[in-house]
Amino acid sequence: MAIELAGATVEQILTNQKGLIAIGAGLAVGLTGLGSAIAEKDIGSAAVGAFTEKEELFGKGLIMTVIPETIVIFGFVIAIMLIL
Amino acid sequence: MLKPKQMSKVLLTGHKDVLEPTIETLHDLHALHIEEYVEEDYFHIGTPLSGADEGSKKLLKLRSIASFLGIKKPYHKPINARQLSSELEEKLETLGGVVSGKLGRKSQIEADLKDVQTGMHEVEAFAGIPVNFDLCRGYETLHVFAGTVKKGADVEAGLKGITDEYQFFAGNTGVFILVVPVKHREQVTDLLAEYEFGEVKIPAIPGTPDDLISELRNRQDSLTKDIESLSSEIDSVKAEYEDFILASEELLSIETQKKEAPLVFATSDHAFVIDGWIPDDEFETLRSRVEEATDNRVYVMIVEEPVDEASVPIEYDNPKIVKPMEAVMNLYARPRYHEIDPTTFVFIAFPLFYGMILGDIGYGLILLGISLYGRSKLHGEGWNSLFTVLIYCNIVTLFFGILYAEFLGFPLAGLHGHPGLIPGWETIPLFAGLGGEMITYPIHRTHLVTTLLVVTLLIGVMHINVGLIIGFRNVLAKHGMKAAVLEKAAWIVLQVGIFLLLFGMMGVVTSMVPGAVVFVLAVIMLVAGEGGTAIMELPSVLSNVLSYSRLLAVGLSSIGIATAVNIMSGMMFDSGGLFIVVAVVIFILGHALNTALSIIAPGLHALRLQYVEFFTKFYEGGGRIYNPFGYKRIYTEE
Repeated sequence: MAIELAGATVEQILTNQKGLIAIGAGLAVGLTGLGSAIAEKDIGSAAVGAFTEKEELFGKGLIMTVIPETIVIFGFVIAIMLIL
Repeated sequence: MLKPKQMSKVLLTGHKDVLEPTIETLHDLHALHIEEYVEEDYFHIGTPLSGADEGSKKLLKLRSIASFLGIKKPYHKPINARQLSSELEEKLETLGGVVSGKLGRKSQIEADLKDVQTGMHEVEAFAGIPVNFDLCRGYETLHVFAGTVKKGADVEAGLKGITDEYQFFAGNTGVFILVVPVKHREQVTDLLAEYEFGEVKIPAIPGTPDDLISELRNRQDSLTKDIESLSSEIDSVKAEYEDFILASEELLSIETQKKEAPLVFATSDHAFVIDGWIPDDEFETLRSRVEEATDNRVYVMIVEEPVDEASVPIEYDNPKIVKPMEAVMNLYARPRYHEIDPTTFVFIAFPLFYGMILGDIGYGLILLGISLYGRSKLHGEGWNSLFTVLIYCNIVTLFFGILYAEFLGFPLAGLHGHPGLIPGWETIPLFAGLGGEMITYPIHRTHLVTTLLVVTLLIGVMHINVGLIIGFRNVLAKHGMKAAVLEKAAWIVLQVGIFLLLFGMMGVVTSMVPGAVVFVLAVIMLVAGEGGTAIMELPSVLSNVLSYSRLLAVGLSSIGIATAVNIMSGMMFDSGGLFIVVAVVIFILGHALNTALSIIAPGLHALRLQYVEFFTKFYEGGGRIYNPFGYKRIYTEE
């Protein structure tokens, strides 16, 4: 059997799967985090530019800046669901 | 409550003789939003009342004095305006005299001090050299070098090779003075050049360096003392006149505002017309007060014409408890005249979402304390609203904190043999949740992820549908039933379709057909209502609802940070000895950081759910600010 050929027991395979799940969860958070960061970088610099010109825009700029945070929250939820 | 204040457009027409009492009355009422008159053929804008110039000049003088004295704006007991106005002229004159003398003295002392410091800088380089500077000048047969050479160079040894006739004085700072006969000048210059000689200018003052230094130091001390005594004098002037300055600044601002008001009125040679907006419930007061003040010589009328929504100034009409939330609304946009004003919905949903996310007794108490303290210390409308909103949010946080039984990231109740912070309190299982989870009291968020995820999504569905219903009402009022059904109700139908399909997939209902039919019907309605682009908008239903998962996710990340801090400091604490101090530092710094994050993260995310997910369903915004003619007195009273 393949399992025995590889020299691994069922427990080891299961542990390996846990590792893969952890890697998957990490990727889900890490990559979505990168995505959010790239989007927030552009919005953030534009927002800073806008509110140095007009200070009332601070609030709106702040809100605009956190809009892409949704992406990383999706990633975070997926990661939690993967681990559970 | 759900609509902005109802406004009427009013015209006031009268003879110029009664312009002044009219302005006086309008200013006292503080209710008429005056529309600026744009000059046309017949009517011109008015000219300021007499004395406007003088008032502005006094105001300017007062403000420059206030800035020299550094007067901030604390809250004081108001001063009687009438009494103040009678003594203003005289008192301002005295104050001006006192301050201008001090201003001159201050700049003189500062200039002197600067001179002394420059002199000091020049002389200090020669500290320790026992030679009067006067003896370093005016020789025909001698040449004087003053300056530094590179470290370790022995100038005297080098000089011995040239001549014995020289005088060499070295100081404490590495600077030296060297005197040689003129005939050896070139050789010595070459020698010094080898040692990287850098010349230092000899100051043109008589005296030996050390004497000069102590003399300058004394002078500097006396000047510093002068400045100190002057600033204490300024402080006493400030203490004496502070109330007066703040109050009279206010008084003069009011005077100037009244006197310059005609600049926005339409006037002919003998008459004036004032055009403006007033809340409906204040109109009768306005009319009777103006007529009374002018012996019926001003005609006040309501202009009955169809209102252009964009031109009406918007004043919120909310109960006092909801008022602070208007700041949150203003951050986005004021409602338009015919729209529902969603402040009340934000008042409910924003603190609720904030509390659901944070849900920690410890952070709730800390932030409640901070915001209560801040509200008592920092005045002004903006601060007051901010702290009041934070207080609302953290009251809800405390409620959820008790529900979750969390304290600074520690669970209060024990679970599965892990003891909680309160000994003997065990988690009570209540009934089964989703995904094999058990719903308990207190709710452990980290152990109920699947169930709570579904709960947050359901909250999202409810919140979004409230938005759609308000949107339905707005479109109905503006464009009629057909548009309202096709643009707003269709989204609700779409969700029904999606739920039916989901039930079909899960086997709750036997057939997928009804779901599919409803779904397609909704899509057709949407395309009919909003055009083909509606198809591109379809996934937004899903992404909007999923976005509410942040109610759980952001909370979990906050727990994560708190737990990490607790574990780190716990490990340090167990190591004992000096590590206990480190543990305490980690604990305090970590939780301070998480407290700061606890304002920002739940606040922004709860806010974003209002602005992005909720408001996009119905809210247009962009109303004008209602800015009534008048002044909110702080420092004076009538």
